[in-house]
Amino acid sequence: MSYEFDWAPIWEARALILAGLATTVMLSAASLVLASIIGVIVGTAASSHRLAFRVGAGVTVEVTRNVPLLIHMYVWYVALAFLRLPPFWCGVLGLSVYSGAYVAEIVRGGIASVPDGQGKAALATGLTPFQTFFVVIYPQAFRIVAPSLANVFSQLIKDSSLASAIAVMELTYVAGAVEGQSFRTFEIYITVCGLYLLLVTIVTLALRFFSGAREQAPAMELASA
Amino acid sequence: MPDVISQNLPFLMRGLATTLRIAGLTAAGGTLLGLAVGIAIHLRVAVLAASLRLYIEFVRGTPLLVMLFICYFAFPALLGYRTTAEQATILGFILFIGAYIAEDVRSGLRSIKPGLVQAALATGLTHWQALGLIVIPLALRRIIPTLFNQYVRLLKFTSVASVIGVQEFTGSAMLVNARVFAPVTILAFIALTYLVLCLLLSSIGRVLHARLAV
Amino acid sequence: MREPIIVLKEVSKAYGATPVLRRCSTAVAAGEVVVVCGPSGSGKSTLIKCINGLEPFQSGSITVEGVEVGAKGTDLPRLRMRIGMVFQHFELYPHMTALENVMLAQVHALRRSRSEARERGRELLDRVGLAEKADAMPANLSGGQQQRVAIARALALDPRAMLFDEPTSALDPATISEVLDVLVELAREGMTMMVVTHEMGFARRVADRVIFMDQGEIVEDSRKEAFFSNPASERAKLFLSKILFH
Repeated sequence: MSYEFDWAPIWEARALILAGLATTVMLSAASLVLASIIGVIVGTAASSHRLAFRVGAGVTVEVTRNVPLLIHMYVWYVALAFLRLPPFWCGVLGLSVYSGAYVAEIVRGGIASVPDGQGKAALATGLTPFQTFFVVIYPQAFRIVAPSLANVFSQLIKDSSLASAIAVMELTYVAGAVEGQSFRTFEIYITVCGLYLLLVTIVTLALRFFSGAREQAPAMELASA
Repeated sequence: MPDVISQNLPFLMRGLATTLRIAGLTAAGGTLLGLAVGIAIHLRVAVLAASLRLYIEFVRGTPLLVMLFICYFAFPALLGYRTTAEQATILGFILFIGAYIAEDVRSGLRSIKPGLVQAALATGLTHWQALGLIVIPLALRRIIPTLFNQYVRLLKFTSVASVIGVQEFTGSAMLVNARVFAPVTILAFIALTYLVLCLLLSSIGRVLHARLAV
Repeated sequence: MREPIIVLKEVSKAYGATPVLRRCSTAVAAGEVVVVCGPSGSGKSTLIKCINGLEPFQSGSITVEGVEVGAKGTDLPRLRMRIGMVFQHFELYPHMTALENVMLAQVHALRRSRSEARERGRELLDRVGLAEKADAMPANLSGGQQQRVAIARALALDPRAMLFDEPTSALDPATISEVLDVLVELAREGMTMMVVTHEMGFARRVADRVIFMDQGEIVEDSRKEAFFSNPASERAKLFLSKILFH
């Protein structure tokens, strides 16, 4: 083994790496929000009493998650190129739709785990169906599915690296650029791995905090809903 | 079938063959690696178990694409060997999925009641025989669904290999697209193919699970 | 007295600071049927699991046909082939048919040929009344049937003695008798047996001796007649009054 470590070029490229990290954070954050919205809508449809909704949601989920993420990104970036979306948003859309399918499955499971009587009781007290979902069902389901959500969200952050393939200058893309200039191959990828690990850890801890905090302060949910 | 597809079908099928070859090899390799690592950790093989845990944690925190770059650029630079994109892909995928499968194997092994091992020992089987004849076969049957989830993931992963220049299915399709520019048709075709293959794979898993579940 | 097969001398065992067995001594002669009873947590199951080395113990000695169980060089698999064991929760291998359960150790521990093992397996399943269930999976058998398969599995190695760890306590009352009948028949054929059980009717019918345990101690070790008509200790009297007249 004749490889000599040299971390100086990595330090010199710190501005570039941090810019890549910032792009990864924004890419992941935007996708996380959009994937959650898609997931809640599709997952709720999948729990519907109406067969058409259930079938529609089920087919959507199966089709979406059985097509590779890279293809999802190419769909927005290449097939729908006439929309002239910036690469960043192509990445966000590809990532959100793909991860949204996984979130939908989790939401469906979460709703199924809330006893049927809860919804009926809420409706009986005069809440609208919309209020019933946001005040009674989602908060209970969220607590149950928080660990699975954490998994999907950390997967999403790692998957965001694929946006480098459609020229989004996020962390992995930047790593390639730094590697090309400095040839400090091992150092740059170790650094990048560390940064992804950091992001994943933050999201996991945040979700653990929120799902735990809600248990202690149920009143907050009512206020925010 | 649209002309763009039928005219380029042999080329695309060669790409698909590469995809299936990579997926098959890495599924087999990843399963073997996952089994070995999962069992070693389960048996608490002293120092080894600790370093294997580290490997699992590292992989689970790393994006697949970065793993590929590590196997394509970093490992050869560090250890001084030459590799092709396809070899690097196969190594990367095996190391990647092996870590996930190891976790599945471990939870499968944990689900086996100790009483069953005692019963095997009581009939004069050795610890290794109990492990090989009872514990591992049972654990594997229990994790069939998660195992096939991993295989489906692998099949989808193969598309990522195109990023480092492997001419598998997605890579071939994008090459065709660069030549004839019919992105909607081509992407629809490959998306549909992946969809069918993934659904096929998961239904195989479901059938096996229904047959072998205990 | 006939030659003892199993000899326990001053066997003690503790989990950390909690003693589970205190200086237990007894011997089981060839052809003898010994019932071990006592309140739950008294150490009965632990005691018989020490005999085939499934549970380690800290002091004292156990010998099976002269072979020291706790000694370093002892070939435990070989020793265990000579003492069959039946568990409370059957512990059949759920991924194998009844016949495969009975064949497994014959092939892999005793190194019989598969055809020989299959033949012996069918013979034993027939003997416990389950010839027609040979190809059934354990999940499709009743508790009583599973336990009978487990007995056949243990007998398949032609053991010199059998250990039973509460063989009927996980069963429906309706199926208890089908398992006890097999045990009675085994006893009549002269099998050496140690049976941990609460079935005092069974003890009265077939036991030669009864061992009563409490808090890890062998409190009484007497002939069946003496134990049931006139137990020596207060603890045994109390136990009998609870178990016989509730």
